Amino acid sequence: MPEMTLDMRVNGRKVTRRADPGQRLLDFLRDELNLTGTKEGCGAGECGTCSVFVDGKLVKSCLMPVAKAQGADIQTVEGLARPGELEAIQKAFHKTGASQCGYCIPGMVMAATSVLREAPEASLDEIKERMGGNICRCTGYSKIIEAVALARDVVTGRASPAVLEPEGVGDSYIGHNVRRLDAPSKVTGRLKYAGDMVMPGMLHMAVLRSPHPHAEIVSIDTSGAEAMEGVACVITADDVPGKDGFGVFVHDQPVMARGKVRHVGEAVAAIAAEDAATARRALAKIRVEYRELPGLFDPEDALKPGAPVIHDYAPDNVVKHIPIRKGDVDKGFAEADLILEDEFSTQQVEHAYLEPEAGLAYVDADDVVTVISPSQNITHHRHMLSEIIAKPINKVRFIMSPVGGGFGGKEDMIYQGMLALAAMKTDRPVRLVFTREESIIASAKRHPSRVKYRMGLKNDGRITAIRFEMLSDGGAYGMSSEGVMRKAAILSCGPYEVENLQVDTTAVYTNNTPSGAFRTFGGMQAQFATESMMDIAAERLGLDPFEIRRRNMMRAGSLTHTQQRLTSASIDRVLEAAEQASRWEPGPVGMRGPTRGDLGGPGTRAPCTLGARFETPKDSKERVA
Amino acid sequence: MLTFERYEMPATLPEALALWAEAPAGARLVAGATDILPWAREGRAGDVDLPLGIDLSRVAELRGYERHGARVRLGANTVWQDFLDDPRLARWLPVMPYCSVWFADDQIRQQATLAGNLVNASPAADGTPPVLALNGELELRRWAGDHIMCRTMRVEDFVTGPGATRLAPGEIVNSVTLDCTEGYGASFQKVGLRRSLVISVACVAALVKLDETGTRFEDVRLAMGGVGPVPERLRDIEDRLKGAALDARLIAEVAEAAAARVASRSRVEYRRRVVPGFVRAALEEAAERARTAPQAAGLKEALNA
Repeated sequence: MPEMTLDMRVNGRKVTRRADPGQRLLDFLRDELNLTGTKEGCGAGECGTCSVFVDGKLVKSCLMPVAKAQGADIQTVEGLARPGELEAIQKAFHKTGASQCGYCIPGMVMAATSVLREAPEASLDEIKERMGGNICRCTGYSKIIEAVALARDVVTGRASPAVLEPEGVGDSYIGHNVRRLDAPSKVTGRLKYAGDMVMPGMLHMAVLRSPHPHAEIVSIDTSGAEAMEGVACVITADDVPGKDGFGVFVHDQPVMARGKVRHVGEAVAAIAAEDAATARRALAKIRVEYRELPGLFDPEDALKPGAPVIHDYAPDNVVKHIPIRKGDVDKGFAEADLILEDEFSTQQVEHAYLEPEAGLAYVDADDVVTVISPSQNITHHRHMLSEIIAKPINKVRFIMSPVGGGFGGKEDMIYQGMLALAAMKTDRPVRLVFTREESIIASAKRHPSRVKYRMGLKNDGRITAIRFEMLSDGGAYGMSSEGVMRKAAILSCGPYEVENLQVDTTAVYTNNTPSGAFRTFGGMQAQFATESMMDIAAERLGLDPFEIRRRNMMRAGSLTHTQQRLTSASIDRVLEAAEQASRWEPGPVGMRGPTRGDLGGPGTRAPCTLGARFETPKDSKERVA
Repeated sequence: MLTFERYEMPATLPEALALWAEAPAGARLVAGATDILPWAREGRAGDVDLPLGIDLSRVAELRGYERHGARVRLGANTVWQDFLDDPRLARWLPVMPYCSVWFADDQIRQQATLAGNLVNASPAADGTPPVLALNGELELRRWAGDHIMCRTMRVEDFVTGPGATRLAPGEIVNSVTLDCTEGYGASFQKVGLRRSLVISVACVAALVKLDETGTRFEDVRLAMGGVGPVPERLRDIEDRLKGAALDARLIAEVAEAAAARVASRSRVEYRRRVVPGFVRAALEEAAERARTAPQAAGLKEALNA
């Protein structure tokens, strides 16, 4: 690597370093100066977790070679307020509860600071427009925008600084602005996520991933990588000392591919080296011979006779089938005045938490194998790892680092095992930080599902029977599929009392990216089908969409799909609130004529456009255009 | 991951040209760096180790801009945010702020250069349509052993296909020269998956100058991007409108004709459906702004005084 003497002022302090001029400013700040408040969420300029000021201008430090910052004045999130203090914008984020997982928050605070500096009178639309380069996945942005507007009002003197102070909670926390305890550490960038943590002598890991969806591994030759200077170890499935296999329900997934690969992006081998660049270069020296196998990419094909078998233990490719039976569907359909049939499909969805997977493992002085990671399921991971590395449970420790967004996507132990094995093999701390691309290719997704629906109704809108058949693509490994199918089945027919139903949810193995847990855990796919059917039925029967739901809704005393007697139900209140909030005009679909008064009113989001900054009058600066 | 064996920050154009003339195969010029860094990632170029990066951001000759009569010459280091922050540029080149506000986001615009956007020659580049509409011309410089060679080329001729240009070995874009269109009304329309940080599925730049009565098109400039291998100027539509009376029906009619220009390899039907609406909206908005532009310009002069 070339070197150059870099001189700059960082957060008011002079900094001089001999460093690679072509490295990104982001790496220089994080690795050379340990200013880890500046995060890496995507490395491609898309997310804004790395926003910093360079000579007063906000830039994305992942898109700037550090040489461009030569002689510049840099301000990072750590430099906004003095230790122990908070700027108005940071207090506002704290006050409105704008920080949730916190991973986007340093960048958001920087972007908000830029708004307040560049356009202190910005309207809400202009605030949104100017912050368009920063992504958040937890908040839906409302609280963030609210925080910026609050800080704006304080900074411009329209509101008293007192509005940023905590409110008393009185006798109850409910109904009051309760402050998050962890917000100050997030708005200042002080909170350390796993990828921010360093230990003396720490190695960096890179993972070799499968280019094939389904292939037998004929051989792996790691000698070229082992021989490279700076490489501390190479690990493969052969390094697993215990019983290999993890998974939330069925332990069908090896720490690294064992004998064959089952999806593109599956880990095949991993390297721990003195630095991340060496580890990545060494990946190219591992030789893997594959023999490609016929793959399964459509869940319907997985069920066909003679289909390729993905896991020997499941020759029918079924991960889990959950049946629910209640009443007599044949009788129910016979009683129906109207029978509707339709199919609904939903696609694979990536969680896209702002924090890519990261972890740090080490073996402590008492031989306790310790893994720090943003795992959403550390106790289960600990038990599984103890079997995998053949150590008693008291020699395995999991520490949950702050989770920079999970949404279910961090429930699977897809990399912690590799870190543990490398730490055991080298007796040194080992850190792995996924790239964004790696996170997308290797982590579980929301199940793509297809629902075949048959619904029988009386003319008054009462449902007489439902047949609900869901087929989900579980991908290459079981992960949370069993639970997701169970939840999808339990929630299948929605909050409606149906006397006769027949529900089957099935997840099958394919060679697609594994599906796993994702917010609603199967509920979303089922509700999309059920609620669509309710709207279609309302239209066909000439009923108000709210009314048809009221005629079928569960009440206290209702028997659920799984035949549990309810002692209370709240859907009546939910429907009423939704009807009022939407200013709903009652009546069947298509009865209103060409115009309806309940669209586009207050609270309705206007179509997306840009250019609010051209509209806002601004005293301090001339507006362009 | 992008690494460089050597990274140079020349301070003058002769230094930069000399480095570039002698550069080993695989060397790259770096302007804003906002495209080259995302390029060197998994799924695109992967990990790339370049023998040399020549960073142009400190080259003195590429800075600044000046007006020469009816033309505005922009140094190649002019960044997209300049069109939003500099009132003079906004007045001389009224389409550029509207394009700029749709370009990437506020932060990337601080680094990304107009020249870099043209040289990358993406079919969906937001910057190329307005430059075509402004009869953009590039000044290209090259070190010829003992002196600097200079040639100029119209941007319309420069961009030849997706990622392909007529930039010759050893050449560096020195400046971009555009028509000063003060007093024109302008519009930029774009559709993508979201507002910020999105590649255009289609984009349209329009400039309209009205006659003294404010009822007839005196001049019309129209260019489209994202709908074929290279962004295109829509001269047939311009010619049909020039001299014609401002008329919503005429605008709608010519806008329909624009759909035939869609020559993309994907989403052709979608693009054919959205393009007429965009062309129409762009022309209507530009005409409306042309009607109000003189007063606005007068107001700005008064504010500056």
